[in-house]
Amino acid sequence: MKNPVIAFLGNPNVGKTSLFNRITKLHQHVGNYPGITVEKRDGSVKANGKTYRIIDLPGTYTLFPTSMDEEIVYNVLADSENPAHPDLVVVVAEPNNIKRSIVLYQQARELGVPAIFVVNMIDEADAKGIDIDYQKLEAYLHTKVYTTDARNGKGIAQLIQAFDQRPGYFPGQFEVDSTYKIALEEAKKSFPLHTEYQTWQFIAQEHVSFLTKEQRQTLIDIREKYQLSSNILQQTEAIKRNTKIEEDLKTIILQKDNHHLHRTNKIDKVLLHPVWGYIIFFLLLFLVFQLVFILSEPIMDWIDENFSSLIDYTAGVLPEGPLSDLLTQGILAGIGGIIIFVPQIAILFLLISLMEETGYMSRVVFLMDRWLRPYGLNGKSVIPLMSGVGCAVPAIMAARNIENTKERLVTMLVTPFMTCAARLPIYVVLISLVIPNETFLGFGLQGLVLNLLYILGVVAALLSAAVLNKIIKNQHRSFLIFELPSYKTPDWRNVGMNMWEKTAGFLFGAGKIILAMAVILWVLGNFGPNDKFSNAEEYVQQANPTLSEAELDEETASFRLEHSFLGYMGMGIEPLVRPLGYDWKMGIGLISSFAAREVFVGTMATVYSLGEEIDPDDDEERETLLSRMRSEINRNTGRPSYNLASGISLLLFYAFAMQCMSTIAIMKRETGSWKWTLIQTVMMTGIAYIVALIAYQLLK
Amino acid sequence: MQKSFSLDLLEVGERATIQQLDSSELPSKFYEMGLLPGTVVEIKHKAPFHGPIGLQISNSNLLIAIRKSEALHIFVEK
Repeated sequence: MKNPVIAFLGNPNVGKTSLFNRITKLHQHVGNYPGITVEKRDGSVKANGKTYRIIDLPGTYTLFPTSMDEEIVYNVLADSENPAHPDLVVVVAEPNNIKRSIVLYQQARELGVPAIFVVNMIDEADAKGIDIDYQKLEAYLHTKVYTTDARNGKGIAQLIQAFDQRPGYFPGQFEVDSTYKIALEEAKKSFPLHTEYQTWQFIAQEHVSFLTKEQRQTLIDIREKYQLSSNILQQTEAIKRNTKIEEDLKTIILQKDNHHLHRTNKIDKVLLHPVWGYIIFFLLLFLVFQLVFILSEPIMDWIDENFSSLIDYTAGVLPEGPLSDLLTQGILAGIGGIIIFVPQIAILFLLISLMEETGYMSRVVFLMDRWLRPYGLNGKSVIPLMSGVGCAVPAIMAARNIENTKERLVTMLVTPFMTCAARLPIYVVLISLVIPNETFLGFGLQGLVLNLLYILGVVAALLSAAVLNKIIKNQHRSFLIFELPSYKTPDWRNVGMNMWEKTAGFLFGAGKIILAMAVILWVLGNFGPNDKFSNAEEYVQQANPTLSEAELDEETASFRLEHSFLGYMGMGIEPLVRPLGYDWKMGIGLISSFAAREVFVGTMATVYSLGEEIDPDDDEERETLLSRMRSEINRNTGRPSYNLASGISLLLFYAFAMQCMSTIAIMKRETGSWKWTLIQTVMMTGIAYIVALIAYQLLK
Repeated sequence: MQKSFSLDLLEVGERATIQQLDSSELPSKFYEMGLLPGTVVEIKHKAPFHGPIGLQISNSNLLIAIRKSEALHIFVEK
């Protein structure tokens, strides 16, 4: 027998996810709805002698979708063929806005889904000055009403007991206007198996994705024939329902003074202040990034050390040979390169989810909308853009709650310009190579350059947004409406959960690709297409018969690399990168880091230490690598490979280029089209090439 | 005074009753979030340089933020 499916439905900020976490504990996973990347929280709980599958639907105010998240909710509830279609819906409300939750509840019931009603955060009801007559409410809703408090677990057990209820009869609470009756009757003929309200929903929505093309055409024809605008139909329903519920609730819910909001208003007087609000926001932003780097540093050092010793140990235990090399230099080094980013990403998402949980993130949207709108972005774009400093992959996913298709697209297209954590190692290595360690106006010059690169990322994102804003046509009017939830102390369970999900997403999602690339790279660098690779020693000896043994070894290693697959690839793209001031070895770095930017440093280490015993994780030996890179001569120009001009050019290239396969993959999934993904890749890499070219030609 | 004017003209701290929304200009989400005719709203915050407006919907004690460009299409009476 199929496990019963229980779906949690509710407005944002009602503590729905806290409730979900409480009930499923750790028996949950986050996946994606098939075909589209809307996060699907799926869990299970064993109770009443069976296993229930629990789905936490994205928060929504209505079943008329205006964003992708909301469309999912509608599809799951309205389409009985949907694999997530629930046997029972749990409508979650909070004492403060029961009215809006009832709208959702009625809509679900009238679509024909059985539902029970939960008032969560019940401990706040007193603070919020609310008095509810539960008996009357149950009679009004024709279902059982439960009260819970997800933060302390109150009422959870009773709620789980209720999972077997299937409330049946529900009288429609929404009467279709007589003006629309004829249209509705006509539509009903085409949908004989659906309820009246389901059919009404079909007419009142522009695009119902689970209907067939013919069915959709029928609906378009009906709307045209009767000159109906779906927006107006939806508004009619909203007004009717709200007016009626408002009237009906008068005797059920008594609302006194709201102390909660007093506190929120007081805090907002400061945090939304026209001057202080911004100062505090920028201070917080500064603090967040300081914390990300300061807190993660010791952990990263620790990981670094332990991984080096692990690699050394493995190399010592295994017999020497290609297998040992693959394991240590390919796989283990690759894993190390992924894990090293985990502390930064985890801390960033810890801080971001704290801002979300407390309710501050909405204030950021409020403060920043005015400043992002001229660039065709939206106050809500702040969250993706800010997260972009960690990693573009979760950042692009964070753009989902932007309703407007165009603003969402522009946000996703420009987010990868933000300086992500993966660019940092490249910046650090390159800066220490080409920027003198001097002070400028009392600040370290190297640090200043690093700051400039971060600012450059923001500028590039905003400017390209402004340009894209002019090019892309808008399908819908741009609008912004959002709730400023009352301030709360964060639910640590949610914060922890969120942090883990985002970090795991990076570790296992992007990590896979990075690891695969590290292995492929190792193979490409350790095998060659012809005997110049396999018999390198003979070739070198023939050309220079007078070499000492040590010199011979060194020459052989470099000759071998030159004739490996990787070497040929690097030389293959050399004509393309020569105008930017790079040689074939840097070309290898560019090719390999197309998978992920952070691969660059590892590759450089491989390229310059192939055949030698250099451990790039050891400080002293890294200095060896750096000095090795410093003394490297570009054979085209006869000057050092890493001079100021080529270094700046390389920095700029990495600042702009789309060097990340994970981002490309996520863009394809999020936009659902290769078109925008390719446009983005070409745009970014094109800009990178041109800027790097100009910089090199001016500086050389 | 019984003349209706657009919501953006209200100052912070002022209360007014929504008379009507220009339904062709606003998506249904505005209604669903509680901006309905007859609702009393109080302006709580205004972001500088014509930024978003924060308002409290008094019968549900919720804080909602909208842009000035949409507030232009919401008509209120004091």
